[in-house]
Amino acid sequence: MSQVKRIVAVVDDDPRVLESLEELLESAGYATRSFGSAGALLNGGISNIDLLITDIGMPTIDGFELRDRVKRERPDLPVFLITGRHEIADQGRAQGVGGIFQKPFDGQALLAAVGDALQHKGKGG
Amino acid sequence: MTGLWMQRPKLIHLGIFVAAYIAGCAFAQVLAFMPGTGISIWLPSGLFIATLLLNSGRNWAWWVVAGCFAELVANMLWFHSPFPAAVLIYAGNALEAVTGAWLIRRALGHPVRLDTLQQMLIFIALGAGIAPIMTATVGAATVDWFDMLSQNFWTAWPLFWIGDATGVLIVAPLALAVFQNWGETSRLSTAQWMEISILALIFLGIAALSLGHYLSFTYIIVPPLLWAAVRFEFKGAAIALILLALITAVFTMSGTGELAGVSDSPKERHILLQLFLAISAFSAMVVAAISRQHRLGLLTLRQSMDALRDRQWELTQLVNVVPSHLWRLTPDGEPIFFNRRMVDFLGMKVADTDRPGSTRLDVLIEAVHPTDAPDFRTSLKHSLSTGEPFAMRYRLRRADGVYRWMSSRADPLRGEDGRIVQWYGLCHDIDDQVHAEQALRERERGLQELVDALPINILSFAPSRKMTYASKRYIDKVGAPQPHIENFDALAREVAHPEDFPKMFAVASHGFASGQLFVNRFRRRDSQGIYRWIEARAQPLRDASGEIVQWYMVSIDIDDEMQAQQALRAAQDSLARQSQAASLAELSASIAHEVNQPLAAVIANSYACHRWLTADPPNIERANKTVDRIIRDANSAADVVSRIRALFKQSADTRAYTMIGNVVAEAQNLMAEEATRRRVQMDIDVASDLPAIFMDVVQVKQVLINLLRNGMEAMDSVSGDKMLGLHVHRVETAIQVEIRDRGHGIENPDRMFEPFFTTKEHGMGMGLAICRSIIESHGGRLWAERNEPQGAILLFTLPIELKVL
Repeated sequence: MSQVKRIVAVVDDDPRVLESLEELLESAGYATRSFGSAGALLNGGISNIDLLITDIGMPTIDGFELRDRVKRERPDLPVFLITGRHEIADQGRAQGVGGIFQKPFDGQALLAAVGDALQHKGKGG
Repeated sequence: MTGLWMQRPKLIHLGIFVAAYIAGCAFAQVLAFMPGTGISIWLPSGLFIATLLLNSGRNWAWWVVAGCFAELVANMLWFHSPFPAAVLIYAGNALEAVTGAWLIRRALGHPVRLDTLQQMLIFIALGAGIAPIMTATVGAATVDWFDMLSQNFWTAWPLFWIGDATGVLIVAPLALAVFQNWGETSRLSTAQWMEISILALIFLGIAALSLGHYLSFTYIIVPPLLWAAVRFEFKGAAIALILLALITAVFTMSGTGELAGVSDSPKERHILLQLFLAISAFSAMVVAAISRQHRLGLLTLRQSMDALRDRQWELTQLVNVVPSHLWRLTPDGEPIFFNRRMVDFLGMKVADTDRPGSTRLDVLIEAVHPTDAPDFRTSLKHSLSTGEPFAMRYRLRRADGVYRWMSSRADPLRGEDGRIVQWYGLCHDIDDQVHAEQALRERERGLQELVDALPINILSFAPSRKMTYASKRYIDKVGAPQPHIENFDALAREVAHPEDFPKMFAVASHGFASGQLFVNRFRRRDSQGIYRWIEARAQPLRDASGEIVQWYMVSIDIDDEMQAQQALRAAQDSLARQSQAASLAELSASIAHEVNQPLAAVIANSYACHRWLTADPPNIERANKTVDRIIRDANSAADVVSRIRALFKQSADTRAYTMIGNVVAEAQNLMAEEATRRRVQMDIDVASDLPAIFMDVVQVKQVLINLLRNGMEAMDSVSGDKMLGLHVHRVETAIQVEIRDRGHGIENPDRMFEPFFTTKEHGMGMGLAICRSIIESHGGRLWAERNEPQGAILLFTLPIELKVL
């Protein structure tokens, strides 16, 4: 347990989803930072997070835009998008982009993907 | 007796008769120069017969009584016979008059006329010959019996007979002529008066000279007598005879007459005198009768001639006035007569056709229009040579040079031997008629061109549906009807698209039967075998009494329009479907999102919980916390579903009491167009005694539309009649609506009302579920049954006493 906990940031405007992801990630041993909006995350800074999970459909700044901004600052930061609207996942904008999960998502699969991403990152960095 | 009194002649007539009778007796007395005989020329016999002939047989008794009175008076004055003898002699006279009048009337009829010699001879034979036998016999017997006048029967008989016969001869014709011609006041001309005067002078002179012995022969008087008879007939003869008798009487009385001196025997002289008068009278009467007959004959002839002349004049007038040309030709064809109208028209008479070097017929033919002349000549020559009637229309030149159309006809008149004697021709001026016909033809042609030019097809049918006319455009487009196409039915079967035929034919049959205008849209096969949409309208033409005399049918090609409409409809449908799909997708996406959010939380929490519990050591605290969140979020998801249900659930405020019939009618209107497009026939039957129902009109209408559309779609791939029935009736305390289709029926009657269940390729499976939800929210029920022989029935009920939910 000496290993420093990896920090996963979660952005969703629905507090229930936010809470449940926080719970799921913490149960898997990650540290979480929860934000109710993209703006809150960007204000707090993204320098010390290892992975970002963000909802797509959010007011003001949506998940796609948030991902683009984060990628500009930290291109190597793994970003997972989650959405409750299946048609968004089918949209062209989302095509070809990995890491989109449709709500309700499989918790195991999400944790596995997060684990993979962080492991690759660790190896790489 | 009363009858006899009623038949009484006028007293004045009886009085005149009595006076004349007494006068006649006086004359006889004067002439009875033979002393004591009392028998001489007996004028009363002629008076008596004439009087009876002029009167009806029923009052003869009155004249007999009057005559008796007159004769007895005369006997008392002059004859002085014993009374019984006088009565007997009168009886003889009366018998003579009655017998004579009766015989003459039988022979000559009534009234008696003496117009011919035959009538006169019969009159003389019966009146002057036979009748006096009565008097002679009775009178002679009386004279003999009473031993009067020193006469016996045989000596007295001839005196009686000849006296009476002479009296009849002299008086009876005169009396008849005077009375019968009483009204004929034929005025005598000055020349006649002069002739009468000269004749009277000669007559009197000769009579005086001859009877006075200055002329040696008594009968010299006869020529003037006959002259009088010839020139003045009975009147002349009778007056001359009376004059002769009077003169004779005067001379005889004076004893200076020739007859007086011929013989010394008074009896002989008496007989001679009577014979002289009788023969004179007989001759004069016969001549008068001949003269009269001759004159009447001449008169008749003149009248006949006059009548003939009048008739001829009338015929000439008729021939000239008749409003046609009449002409006659010789058997060779030479004109010999034109009537006045023809002369006026041509400006020439028959005589004007005589021209050196050409025949009359050639001159006449010059007046025929040059175009028609050869035919005219050929046709006329043909008729002349064969004797067949001639008939032709041609233009004939009028006197002013204008040609006018004529209709001419000529027939031969044949003699008894069958040879043609003449040709009679009749020629009407038909120029106005020909021009009217030409104008009519022109007009008809114009109308025909108009009909052909109009971009419509026109047909007409008799009331029996027999086809009577097809416009040129129709024949060009559809083709001339085949020989077996005689009536509308056969034509419809031939050209209408088999799918459209039943409906089209039903509409037409109803129209024909009801006499109402009808309209049909159907696909018609053209001459190329291609079906094109047309709109056909048929309208009856009625006569004054309202009877249909003709059906006119006009059809317009609407194929392009129909294609465009169908394309438009398809586009609209597609758009509507897309829009419906889009909105449904939107809705379902929203619903999914709403539900997915809590579900996502629940699932994530579940995994987390599971991890807390399976961790070593298990983190019960966190697990509990997670479970709480799971419960909370699952409830939240349930809330979402409740909220969605609430979305579909209308509040009771939009409900109102409404007649189901109105809702059905609205749904029918909304679906009518779609039914036509899908060629589905809707059979709507709503019972009339249904109460109003408390319902949400929009929802119930949506249910109806949904079920109707499902029914139509179910029959899309069905061939044959597409019949969709909608029946609404009352079932106990509810109104039941049934929608019957003839589709392929229901495969999954249990699952068909479940949400998201569909058998349609593009269906969402929500329709029937929503319908059921709406009906149930109204307290009713929606279910399906099998239709016989095929298809499905969707039924729903709406309770009449609705419990407000």
